[in-house]
Amino acid sequence: MPREKFSTLTEQMFYVLLCLREERCGMDILDQVPAMTGGRVSVGSGTLYNLLEQFREEGMIRETRTEGRRRSYLLTESGRRRLAQEYQRIEAQAEDYRRAFGEEDEP
Amino acid sequence: MRETKRQMSLYSFYDHTGIEKHLARMAERGWLLCGLGQFLWHYRRIEPRRITFSVCYFPKATIYDPYPSERQEEFYDLCAHAGWTLAGSSGQMQVFYHQGENPTPIDTDPALEVEAIHQSAKKTVLPANFLLLGVAVLNLGLFLWRFWDNPVLTLASGGTLLALVAYTLILVNCTVELCSYFRWRGRARRAAERGEFLPTRSRVWLQRLLLAILLPAGAWCLAGMFQDGLGGLAAVSMLGVIGIIAAVLGVRKLLKGAGVSAKANLRGTLAACVVLSILFAAAIPWLVVRGLNSRPNPRAEELPLSVTDLVEMDPDHYSRWQFRISSPLLALLQVSDYPRIYGEMTHSLRYDVTVVKVPALYGLCRDHYLGGDSRYTPVDPAPWGAQEAYRYVLNGQTLEHYVLCYPHRVVEITLDWTPTAEQMAVVGEKLGRGPL
Repeated sequence: MPREKFSTLTEQMFYVLLCLREERCGMDILDQVPAMTGGRVSVGSGTLYNLLEQFREEGMIRETRTEGRRRSYLLTESGRRRLAQEYQRIEAQAEDYRRAFGEEDEP
Repeated sequence: MRETKRQMSLYSFYDHTGIEKHLARMAERGWLLCGLGQFLWHYRRIEPRRITFSVCYFPKATIYDPYPSERQEEFYDLCAHAGWTLAGSSGQMQVFYHQGENPTPIDTDPALEVEAIHQSAKKTVLPANFLLLGVAVLNLGLFLWRFWDNPVLTLASGGTLLALVAYTLILVNCTVELCSYFRWRGRARRAAERGEFLPTRSRVWLQRLLLAILLPAGAWCLAGMFQDGLGGLAAVSMLGVIGIIAAVLGVRKLLKGAGVSAKANLRGTLAACVVLSILFAAAIPWLVVRGLNSRPNPRAEELPLSVTDLVEMDPDHYSRWQFRISSPLLALLQVSDYPRIYGEMTHSLRYDVTVVKVPALYGLCRDHYLGGDSRYTPVDPAPWGAQEAYRYVLNGQTLEHYVLCYPHRVVEITLDWTPTAEQMAVVGEKLGRGPL
C-alpha cells in the first residue's frame, strides 16, 4: 500500500523544512543543510527542487520573494505543525530507545 | 584531428545509470557531451579526464519548449550552485556533469527520482512505446491475413518482408522496453521505501542486435526490389519516409527557433506530420498507377513466353501486361497476353511463374496454386516437361488451366485453346527452365 505523502518526513525533508524557519532561497538551503548537520546530511539540487515544489503545493511553505530567478521561501503554520509532529515522533522513538536500553547504554 | 563527434543514442530513456557510465567512459577517452539531439548525441574534444555525470528528469519540460522555462532555469541554477554544469537536454532528460571529487548527487531521494522518471516517461516514451506496439501488432496481424489469403504474393514481396522484419523487431523492442521499465520501476519503488537507489540495467546489446538484424535484412530485401525494377518504388518509399521524418523534425526546430510556445509547436508539428503522411500515402498509389511498380505493354520478345511463341499471330495485335516482384524467399512473374480485339482466330494467355528460392517453401507454393481442394486432377506431366502437372476441372468439365511443377518453379497457366504436345513442350522449355 502506498505511503501517505509526508506521513513521515525523511531526514532531507526534515532539514529542508527546518531551514525554512527563516526566509531562505534554494541555494541557501543547499549550503545550510550540511552546515547545520556537520556534513552528515546533504540535499541534492534536484531533490531540493522537487521538495520545494511539493512542500509549496501542500501549503507547508510559501514563496516570499522573487529576485530574478531566485525565489525565497518560508515555513507556513501548516509546515511548522508538520515539523513539530515529526519532532515528537523522533522524540518518542528516542524515548522508547532510552526505556529499552536505559540512560547508561546510550550510544 | 576531429574536434566534434556524433554518436547514435542506443540507451533506454530511463536508463540513467547506463547513460552516466557511458558518458564518463567517453570523457575518459577525451569526449565530453555537449548536446542531445533527437537521435544523436554530440561531443566535443577535451583532455581525457574523469568526470561525474548525472542524468536527471524534469517532467514539466518538453521537446517543444522554445527555451527552458523559468522553473527549469531555477533548477539549473540550483544545480550550478552545487557545481553541476548542464551538458545537454532533450525534452525531460537533463544531463549534467561535475568536475570535482565526490560531488553531492543531484538526486538524493530515491523515491523522488523514481517519481520524476515515471512522470517524464508517462509523457513521452511510454505512450510512444505503447503506440508503436499497437502499430506493430496491427501490421503483423495484417501480414498474417495477407499470408493466409495469398502466401506467394506476400512472401515474394521484398517490401512486405522488410515490413515484417521491421515490425517484428519493433514488437520485440517495445515489449522488452516496456517490460524492463515496469519491472525496474516496481523494484526501484520498493528499494526507495528502504531509502535505496536501484541502478538501471542497460540493454544496449539488444538495440545493437536489432540493428544488426534490420540493416542487412533491409539491404537484402531492397536489393531484390531494385533488381526487379521496383527500385523506383523502393527509393521513393524510403526517401518519402526519411523526408517526412526530416520535415517534421525541421518544422519543430523551426517553430522552436521562432520562439513559438510549446503547445503551438506541438500542434504545428502534428499538423505537418498528418498532412505530409496523407500526401505520401496518396502519392504512392498514384506513382504505382503511373507505372512505377509494373511494366505495362512489354514487347513480345521481352516476355519469357507470349502467345506468338505458341501460335502464328501478329504480335502487334496483342496487349501485354507483366508484374514482377521478388524477395530473398520467392520471385513472382505474372503475365497477361490478350488480343486487342477478340476474334475467332485470336488467342489469349495468362500465367504466373513462382521461383522458389528456399526449397522448404516449395510445397506451400504448390498447395497455394492447387487451392487445397480436389478441383485439380493430375495429368501426364511429360508433355510439359514437368515433374507434376494438374488440370482444373469444374463441374466435371476440364478447363485449359494448369498448374505445372518444375524444379524450383511452380507455373500456373491459363490458355483459351487446347494446347498441342509441341506447344506444351514450348511452355515447359520457356517457363519451366528458361530465363525469366
